[in-house]
Amino acid sequence: MLNVHEVLKTFNQGTINQKIALDKVCLQLLPNDFVTIIGSNGAGKSTLLNAIAGNFLVDSGKISIEGIDITRLPAHKRAGLISRVFQDPLSGTAASMTIEENLIMAFRRGKVRRLRPAIGSKERDLFRVELEKLGLGLENRLTHRVSLLSGGQRQALTLLMATLEKPKLLLLDEHTAALDPKTAEKVLELTCGVTEQQKLTTLMITHNLDHALTFGNRTIMMHEGRVILDIKGIERTDMTISRLLEMFEKASGSHMNNDRMILA
Amino acid sequence: MFAQIALGTMEQGLMYAIMVLGVYLTFRILDYADLSVDGSFTLGAATATTMIVGGTDPWLATGMAFIAGTLAGLFTGILHTKFKITPLLSGILTMTALYSINLRVMGRANISLLGSQTIFSDFSKLPLMEEYGVFALSLISVILIGSVIYFFLQTELGLALRATGDNELMIRSLGVNTDFMKILGLSLSNGLVALAGSYVAQKLQFADASMGIGMIIAGLASVIIGEVLIGTSSIGRTIIAVICGGILYRVIIAVVLQLGLEATDLKLITSFIVITALVSPTVRKKIASWSAGVAGKEAQ
Ligand SMILES: Nc1ncnc2c1ncn2[C@@H]1O[C@H](COP(=O)(O)OP(=O)(O)OP(=O)(O)O)[C@@H](O)[C@H]1O
Ligand SMILES: [Mg+2]
Repeated sequence: MLNVHEVLKTFNQGTINQKIALDKVCLQLLPNDFVTIIGSNGAGKSTLLNAIAGNFLVDSGKISIEGIDITRLPAHKRAGLISRVFQDPLSGTAASMTIEENLIMAFRRGKVRRLRPAIGSKERDLFRVELEKLGLGLENRLTHRVSLLSGGQRQALTLLMATLEKPKLLLLDEHTAALDPKTAEKVLELTCGVTEQQKLTTLMITHNLDHALTFGNRTIMMHEGRVILDIKGIERTDMTISRLLEMFEKASGSHMNNDRMILA
Repeated sequence: MFAQIALGTMEQGLMYAIMVLGVYLTFRILDYADLSVDGSFTLGAATATTMIVGGTDPWLATGMAFIAGTLAGLFTGILHTKFKITPLLSGILTMTALYSINLRVMGRANISLLGSQTIFSDFSKLPLMEEYGVFALSLISVILIGSVIYFFLQTELGLALRATGDNELMIRSLGVNTDFMKILGLSLSNGLVALAGSYVAQKLQFADASMGIGMIIAGLASVIIGEVLIGTSSIGRTIIAVICGGILYRVIIAVVLQLGLEATDLKLITSFIVITALVSPTVRKKIASWSAGVAGKEAQ
């Protein structure tokens, strides 16, 4: 499904700030895989997701989705395959535009934008149904500007936007880290619901080790630009957090060092 | 006397409102302060007058002025998106280049249209339009252009344009080529500015190589005045606000002139309007936090 092959990315090449953010990373995902990613600060987790989404082109290596080579495609041409939710609730929506305008733009993800009225009553009905599932009362606020929503509401909306038109691959980069615990739970619950229902292939970065083990079917750990552990199957079912940290220390030769890390 | 001045001011206000709509597209929709405007306004005037003097039909010449403007915007857009030059500098480069180009187009520093056929002289031949031809044609044009922009901004393409100015990263991740959207917005905007230039030149019956100087600041002032007085609660309302801002700006200028200030002082006044509008939110915040601080100390 997703195949990341020996991807190398160096920031500030040739300067004193040179930094190898991705060091020949290899990662293969099967259809319906829900993979959680953990690792220290600066391990290259976000960089990996950015490389897949096409925020920048990688120095070498290959990235393909369902056999389509996307290594050289600009971000906007990958949009038909990939959708994502960022950590910052502000970055996933256009604040000055209404809820329904944001939704219709997501509904047309990866398609050619035409010179025709964007929203019809058919789409509006669909949006109402989908918003109702969030349970936040947004279905009655279609024409409200997104800037009026709370962070949690915006993140829930962003998640809906990412999955409204089923993507081949869903990328989540600590998408609940900026929310209060209760809202974070709610958004995670929604994430689980939609990934299961649509059978999405998902990559989720998290700083919560408990979530890393309970959500999805596979956990990978990154360290200094490399994938150092890949846990799945029975090994994962039997895994505990302390055992996980032990394995990390053995594989990396250092402590997991993440300022946002939550152990349980 | 007064009625005549009032009519003349309204006529000019409506024509400048076309320019202000163009500035609104870049400044507010794209969040891009485009300084090409000074050059493209003159470009529109130069293109239309030169063609009219050369014997071209004025309606066609006016259309060509619009197209010339879109090319200027295209140039700014390419400088910014393909060569990664900052918005401000891209605009300044285009504006500077256009100064020479405009002189080339005109062949001299100014052109008179006295006695030539213009879109206004044509329109005034229609029944009942003898006296109010300029006013009516300008009004129709503004309403038409305002409506087209209104509907355009609700289309799929229009939403993509608005999102490009609001959250570029997000709309790119939804599959929109934001470079293309910026170029499109800049082209449309400069096209409208040039169109306004061709209207103004035909009304004044001359074009001058320096007639566009300060146009961007006048445009910004108009947008801000309109938004403050009428509000921005929806796209439709904002468009109406921007048009009214353009008209009102000319009214303010006319009043100031009547009060005895020199025409050469206008640029100073315009800058002052923009500075006041830009500074007032910060000043208001400062005052608010200052008085909150005082209140806090008193409470202690
Ligand atoms: N655009 C960039 N320019 C230069 N260096 C960068 C850039 N993006 C990331 N880096 C560097 O690459 C390394 C990996 O960063 P990345 O953001 O992927 O870490 P992360 O695993 O997501 O960490 P965190 O848990 O803190 O989010 C870091 O050293 C970072 O400083
Ligand atoms: Mg990160």
